[in-house]
Amino acid sequence: MAGKVDRIQDPELRASLQAAQESLRKGDYRDVVQRSAEAFVELLRRRPELLQGQEGVRRVFMFPRLGVDLVVSPGSPPALKYERERFSFSEAVTYLEFATEQLLQAGA
Amino acid sequence: MKFGLFYELQLPKPYDADQWHPDQEHRIVKEALEQIELADRLGFDYIFIVEHHFLEEYSHSSAPEVFLAAASQRTRNMRLGHGIVLMPPPYNHPARVAERIAMLDLVSDGRVEFGTGESSSEMEMGGFGVRREEKKAMWEEATRECLRMMTEVPYPGYEGSYFAMPSRNVIPKPLQKPHPPVWVAASRRETTMVAARLGIGSLGFGFETPDEARERVEEYYRLIREECFPIGKAINPALAVLSVLSCFDSDEEAIAKGLEGAQFFSYSLGYYYSPFTGGAHRPGRVNLYHQFKDTPPEQRWGALAEWFRGFAGYRGGFGEEPQDEVGRALWRAAQRGGCIGTPEFVRETLLRYEQAHLDVMLFVAQCGARKHEDIMDSLYRFGTKVLPEFKERHEQHQRWRQEQLAPVDYPIVSSI
Repeated sequence: MAGKVDRIQDPELRASLQAAQESLRKGDYRDVVQRSAEAFVELLRRRPELLQGQEGVRRVFMFPRLGVDLVVSPGSPPALKYERERFSFSEAVTYLEFATEQLLQAGA
Repeated sequence: MKFGLFYELQLPKPYDADQWHPDQEHRIVKEALEQIELADRLGFDYIFIVEHHFLEEYSHSSAPEVFLAAASQRTRNMRLGHGIVLMPPPYNHPARVAERIAMLDLVSDGRVEFGTGESSSEMEMGGFGVRREEKKAMWEEATRECLRMMTEVPYPGYEGSYFAMPSRNVIPKPLQKPHPPVWVAASRRETTMVAARLGIGSLGFGFETPDEARERVEEYYRLIREECFPIGKAINPALAVLSVLSCFDSDEEAIAKGLEGAQFFSYSLGYYYSPFTGGAHRPGRVNLYHQFKDTPPEQRWGALAEWFRGFAGYRGGFGEEPQDEVGRALWRAAQRGGCIGTPEFVRETLLRYEQAHLDVMLFVAQCGARKHEDIMDSLYRFGTKVLPEFKERHEQHQRWRQEQLAPVDYPIVSSI
């Protein structure tokens, strides 16, 4: 049975999260967090309308703040701020699941 | 599907006093124990009780292991769940958790459900010096090591990111082998999927609808089969969700005796978990119930929404469901919900969860200023008019679950 990541239609974003899944299996949690967070930010950069209005505020608010922060400021593209280099398995899964769900909800 | 009760030990202050009456905390504890004793006789399968600190009126359950020890001597069959133990080491040293869980398992003849979690209220994290961005990593490290302490002789010692200790044999060991079923509190969907990948049960505290439960059940069991890296020595594949119960002979009576308590549950939860109000709480100086009562019923969610303005971007009113998971959970808890009504109404709701293959439905029965007598009546009505047919059908669910878990090689310790 295919996982949710495989349902992402955008080939680049899908490949990024598939690589994150592979890193999870290998135990490279930093890579999982980085690929997942960057896939989400890439989505926001491509589609700035996702940051507008109530839904946009919600997306920013719900971003997991577990060592990587989402920085959104007027006039600048969204960016990531890394507060540490090491991450746990559960933190990695949280970022991966969040990114997967957000990309699917956005129809990416 | 199995059923349980979920306790915060809510204790609203008297409307017209600054503090509680001297006997109120004593009374609420004794009443809760009576409710649990009745629920055990009626065939409820679980009690889960929280660990919270400093959340006045919302939860007076800061030492659940003591409460569960008392419950273990008043019940015969019911499983005794921590819903949850706060695992970050600043709250509880992992060795102390392992010792307490094992002792409770011994005194209860092996009936413990080991629920784990991180906490997220500013009152608690600030009170114990837990940094928000580290709490999940703390939870994982402490839970993994705690399970090793329950099973390894001796525990070889550990130098981790969040605690360290030399080699010791942590005793006693739990009666259930290798350890009791493990759960994690999951107020966000992502945490349910963390639970699946670590092979532990998900205590869903988001008041999920049947359709959401179905989606989560499917993905959860797929991950258990395909992507599981167990955190312990055995897995506990299980999903539980929360609902608020008030079961009476008419909808009007169920609402009259049950809705305000549900609304206070939501109101006080929102107060402590909002970044605007929770961290600014003045300890010992607020009468939350007074504030709640002074808010007209139709505006109680509106007041909550005001607290959440800017938080999750919520702009809706009483009749509009928020989109974010936190706000949505609060909103749903404040509504009539699917389990406030007649036995027929409650049954219809629960059938939809059963069809979604949910493992456990947990009820908030004691909340707000609900009267003990009404809670007992409601439990009795549910236990005699609704519960039996679901118990009879539970074997069907167990067969479905066995099929889902057929490819899984890991040992399973689960009470489902």
